[in-house]
Amino acid sequence: MIAFVTSNMAPLMFTALIVVLLLGYPVAFSLAAVGIAFGLLGIQLGLLQQSLFQALPERIWGVMSNDTLLAVPFFTFMGLILERSGMAEDLLDTIGQLFGPMRGGLAFAVIFVGALLAATTGVVAASVISMGLISLPIMLRYGYDRRFATGVIAASGTLAQIIPPSLVLIIMADQLGRSVGDMYAGAFIPGLALAGLYAVYAVGVTMLRPQWAPALPLEARTFREPNGGSGTPSLIVLFVIAVAAAVGFAKYRYPPDAPIDEVLVVATSVGVAVAFSAAVLNHLLKLGMLSRIAERVTFVLIPPLALIFLVLGTIFLGVATPTEGGAMGATGALAMAIGRRRLSFGLLRQAMDATAKLTAFVVFILVGARVFSLTFYGVDGHLWVEHLLTNLPGGQLGFLIAVNLLIFFLAFFLDFFELAFIVVPLIGPVADKLGIDLIWFGVLLGVNMQTSFMHPPFGFALFYLRSVAPTKDYTDKATGRPIAKVTTGQIYWGAVPFVLIQVLMVALIIAFPGIVTGGLAKKATIDTNKIQIEVPAEESTTTPGTGEKTDSEQEDAQKAFDRASGKPEPGK
Amino acid sequence: MKILLTLSRLIDALNEVVGRLTYWLVLVAVLVSAGNATIRYTFNMSSNAWLEIQWYLFSAVFLFCAGYTLLHNQHIRIDVVTGRLSRRAQAWIDILGTLLFLMPMALTILWLSWPVFVDAYQRHEVSTNAGGLIIWPARLMVPIGFLLLVLQGISELIKRIAFLRGMIPDPTEKHEEPSAEELLAAEIRRQRGESA
Repeated sequence: MIAFVTSNMAPLMFTALIVVLLLGYPVAFSLAAVGIAFGLLGIQLGLLQQSLFQALPERIWGVMSNDTLLAVPFFTFMGLILERSGMAEDLLDTIGQLFGPMRGGLAFAVIFVGALLAATTGVVAASVISMGLISLPIMLRYGYDRRFATGVIAASGTLAQIIPPSLVLIIMADQLGRSVGDMYAGAFIPGLALAGLYAVYAVGVTMLRPQWAPALPLEARTFREPNGGSGTPSLIVLFVIAVAAAVGFAKYRYPPDAPIDEVLVVATSVGVAVAFSAAVLNHLLKLGMLSRIAERVTFVLIPPLALIFLVLGTIFLGVATPTEGGAMGATGALAMAIGRRRLSFGLLRQAMDATAKLTAFVVFILVGARVFSLTFYGVDGHLWVEHLLTNLPGGQLGFLIAVNLLIFFLAFFLDFFELAFIVVPLIGPVADKLGIDLIWFGVLLGVNMQTSFMHPPFGFALFYLRSVAPTKDYTDKATGRPIAKVTTGQIYWGAVPFVLIQVLMVALIIAFPGIVTGGLAKKATIDTNKIQIEVPAEESTTTPGTGEKTDSEQEDAQKAFDRASGKPEPGK
Repeated sequence: MKILLTLSRLIDALNEVVGRLTYWLVLVAVLVSAGNATIRYTFNMSSNAWLEIQWYLFSAVFLFCAGYTLLHNQHIRIDVVTGRLSRRAQAWIDILGTLLFLMPMALTILWLSWPVFVDAYQRHEVSTNAGGLIIWPARLMVPIGFLLLVLQGISELIKRIAFLRGMIPDPTEKHEEPSAEELLAAEIRRQRGESA
């Protein structure tokens, strides 16, 4: 018996973890308790040193001084303030009006706004609730297919998980020991491609099943010109001028070998500034050069674009670290909420309260995982996992397929924080050993984990949509017609095609790795993690996946960070 | 048991106060961090002390709010299996979990982290970064945070036992403030003037 336990500590420990987690006691404490119990057992059996637990305070210290995780409260706080600022409502109303006259237009508007909100800061629940309360009633009013309407809303809301800046990518970067900036750069194209695939699906629906996604009738269009025109040509002209300004600026102002992301950020800002000044001049001087819709669209797009610049722009320009980018975004969101007179004392308190609780439970899961891994690595659990995974048939591809299937099915039961803190540190080092690029791997898993929000019956996006979709038949106020309730079955079935699209995206990333790595062009980003990698001593001492840093490494990173930011080194 | 319930109420009140004071540090951390980036870019200077304050604040938030989060039952659980059990069965799970999981881990870390603080305090340990902060206040946060967590564990234990004995209503069903999601939905509904 003792011999069996001694030789099978790792599998036994892992099995015990699964059983204990399923008891439904908070994950953070269960993880730590399994670690401590097996640690004591290991010490008794002579497998582990007496001093094993002396390392615990340093492990917690490592979590505390983790600069990357600091971004978690920042982005959470930003999202909570932003979702109450009314920005999402304005966007959905205006873009709905813009695209509405097209067949399937409301669906395109939902996808577009979903992607835009995702790029300001990702909160799935908030996007789904806003769309469910604003766009869904209009879609139902004008006869959209219920499954298609609910599916497109839930799926567009989950874009927040993969389009930077998102908590998923931050935590993935932390767990895989890579820089957040690179993770963002790598996730950008896959995130947008996923939104593109949703749109392609919507186009397919409008062609094959036009009755599922009708155009808005004339009486539903509120932004009309005095002469009855839609005003869209004016918007297209403005858009073309803005793009021309951006491209022209990039061509003449920058040499061809300038860092691509810097050019992109600056040129886009120039284009937006041109469009914005045109709209402001037109409005103030009553020039009448722009149609109402063109002016309105420009005005509602400015706040999200400004926030995207504040967060992602400053990161890609190298002005701020990803963590500071989160703080800049949070400050911007506060300023915007104050400007729109939406910030009350109650809202501020409530946002800080929710942020503090989320931070506590997320970081405690990590603390628990660190306690667990202290013992698990001590009994060579990582070698056991590596042995299991590298012996799969098919080498790299076999590993990728197995891991993705595993995550896909675990996602029915676990949410993303648990997957990221328990599963990712186990498979990350194996992936690294198989020669897989960890940025690419992280983005791949991020796309895969999106499905956990869309799985019936536990998917969070579906849950939040259910909470705001009509549960009773009602009479529509605008048309006076009766509208049937949305059934839970419709929401579940509506999610299925979009889960399939997400799975397709996973397959595409595996088949064409360039989707991710193409975004990783050379650039000058200030990022403590990345700078650390440039410190030669780092490579031999840091194991990817554990994210462990010793004090001296942190010091190195700090010095490098100071150098990069133009600060003189102390003592020189 | 009456005395224990009074103790439980005192602990709840303590963690409630600590939580409500600590969450303000979220705002402070946001402003400090945004300020750091702005000042570094505009004046080309940065201070290690101000960079370190960021994670002191972060650590204070998650450590001091751990008990507060437990009080509000917000630590994530995997309840796909046991979520359907009766209230009494769930109370039993919480009792066993508190005794077998929470208490051993929190007491172990509390026990081990105290001497680390004492050591840092006695040696006047200072951050290795130039111009960095003194270390002991941050070292002290760990035992304080885990002490608050242990206390809250005791309180939850008392409440579950009292519930099983029929002395108090289900403690997990206590009145919670509406969640961020509920508030958002309520606000949009109010503005749309719809009751649907």
